[in-house]
Amino acid sequence: MQQAILDRPATRETTEPRSGRRTTLGAKDRTFGFMIALPAVLLFLVIAIYPLVSSIGTSLYDQSLLRPERTFVGFDNYTAIFGEFVARLGTTLTFATLATIFPVLLGVALAVLLNARIRGRNILRGTLMLPWLLPGVVVSFLWAWIFNDSYGVLNHLLTMVGLPEVSMLGNPTGAMAAVVIAKTWHSFPWIMVVALSVLQTLPSEQLEAATIDGATRSQRFRYISLPHIVGPVALVATLEFIYNFGNFDTIFVMTGGGPGDSTTTLAVSLYQLAFGSYELGKASAMGVLWLILLAIISSAYLLLNRRLEKR
Amino acid sequence: MSHGRDIGEAIVRPRLSIPGRLGLLLLALFGLLPVYWLTATAFMKKEAVFALDRPLFPVDPTLDNFIGFFQNDLLLQNLKNSFIVSTGTAVLAVLVGAFMAYSLSKFRYSGRNAIMFMFLIGQLIPGALLLISLFLMLSSVNLLYTYTALIISFTTFTLPLTVFLLKGIIDGLPDDILEAAKVDGLSRIATMFKIVFPLIVPGLITAAMFAFMRGWSDLLFALTLAGPDKQTLPAGLTQAFIRDGTADWPALMAASLITSLPLAIIFILLQRYFVSGLASGAVKG
Repeated sequence: MQQAILDRPATRETTEPRSGRRTTLGAKDRTFGFMIALPAVLLFLVIAIYPLVSSIGTSLYDQSLLRPERTFVGFDNYTAIFGEFVARLGTTLTFATLATIFPVLLGVALAVLLNARIRGRNILRGTLMLPWLLPGVVVSFLWAWIFNDSYGVLNHLLTMVGLPEVSMLGNPTGAMAAVVIAKTWHSFPWIMVVALSVLQTLPSEQLEAATIDGATRSQRFRYISLPHIVGPVALVATLEFIYNFGNFDTIFVMTGGGPGDSTTTLAVSLYQLAFGSYELGKASAMGVLWLILLAIISSAYLLLNRRLEKR
Repeated sequence: MSHGRDIGEAIVRPRLSIPGRLGLLLLALFGLLPVYWLTATAFMKKEAVFALDRPLFPVDPTLDNFIGFFQNDLLLQNLKNSFIVSTGTAVLAVLVGAFMAYSLSKFRYSGRNAIMFMFLIGQLIPGALLLISLFLMLSSVNLLYTYTALIISFTTFTLPLTVFLLKGIIDGLPDDILEAAKVDGLSRIATMFKIVFPLIVPGLITAAMFAFMRGWSDLLFALTLAGPDKQTLPAGLTQAFIRDGTADWPALMAASLITSLPLAIIFILLQRYFVSGLASGAVKG
């Protein structure tokens, strides 16, 4: 999604105060500074933090959108959805992993290729940003149309060159492949832009010195360019994984979680439980288990972030 | 350009080998052919895409799919909602975000690091996790199915991005300016509105556009918190798509293009920022 690129500044927030500021800012300035931060903090507390905490409460109740009252059931919701959670977690991990690996490979490959001297590379780089720009639902509609069993252009092309047709959205493996391909197409430009911009910060002296010392082109890539981009790329890959883990629109629009529940990830399952079956308590329990996992993954991200910061 | 520079350039940016060119071509085709197909289908007649000898380009192009969109009251309402909600998000996010960014950039107070940490973590929380509580909370204060519900939700989830973007820019403003304003007897609020914000207008516009894109593209909240009257285009199209199935692909592709157009315009306006400045400044390199 588009916020992704801009999320990067978040990793650099540790800028220290410039000298001289502390001497001129008094207690009233501190109060003022805190006051102007309040609207954002309050909004965040009410819309993001409070719902997270309150979902823990909801998860302990038998609560439905169809009934006004709710009854306390302790951890019953957790035992009821645990099997489902584990199954959906497997699907989510499969999707999130594949939909991270492919855009990273594709994005880095494109960055390396576009870093070469080639005519029209600026135009190519600009137009290759297009997929990233489209809203998630548009990406889903488009790939659902391409993969359409009867009239899709993929099968049309396959038939034209004499190959057998494939059924993508109609079977479990095909459906998973379809959503991964769609997400890959949506995400690779972001990785490409990040990798390309990092490649361009590589000091040319290093490459020139290595060449003089007799390093071949592939050696220069292996020992200079690759180590240079691996840190930033790992960081965006982690972010991409976290976003994919919570992806809703790609899968919900393209497959609705099907066929069967072969592409039902945690996000889709939670939505279906809450707004399909109106089981708010069970859906919240699923959310809380998810939250615990997210905390673990996020710690990995923050750790990686900090290590890069120190570099 | 000297000879030595040429050699350096050749090393840093080698020419592509034949396999390299072929690989680039294949990857570029994967990136661009679907965009072509989206556009081409939008100009095709409905019958043409179901025909046995369906063409790969719009042989007999038509604007009917686009005209149909603008004759559909429901979609027009969705489009209007999209503009209202996204613009509201952009305005609120920039206002609240700029205050916050200025605070984090130029002031030190206890709790500041905790606030920054909260925002850093906040951008990792998926919308689905907040959905139920948000739904119940908005419903209990009678804000469910309103523009306000969508605007404050989108604003909240855009805030980390808006704040960190603007903070980066405000960090670059020299403190001397603020001190000069103080010496001149300007109040703290006046300094903010008359000195700081005018200096970061390009940043404010960029942040506004990103917030706009966020509100414009979201599906999950639009589907659950907006209700039929207030829902935005992604939710409206998704519901129509699920309800009607695959009845009319060219119309859906035309609607998709219309939905994407404002984002394309924003991208063209901001392209330089997107591609060069942002990415390079954003990643520690």
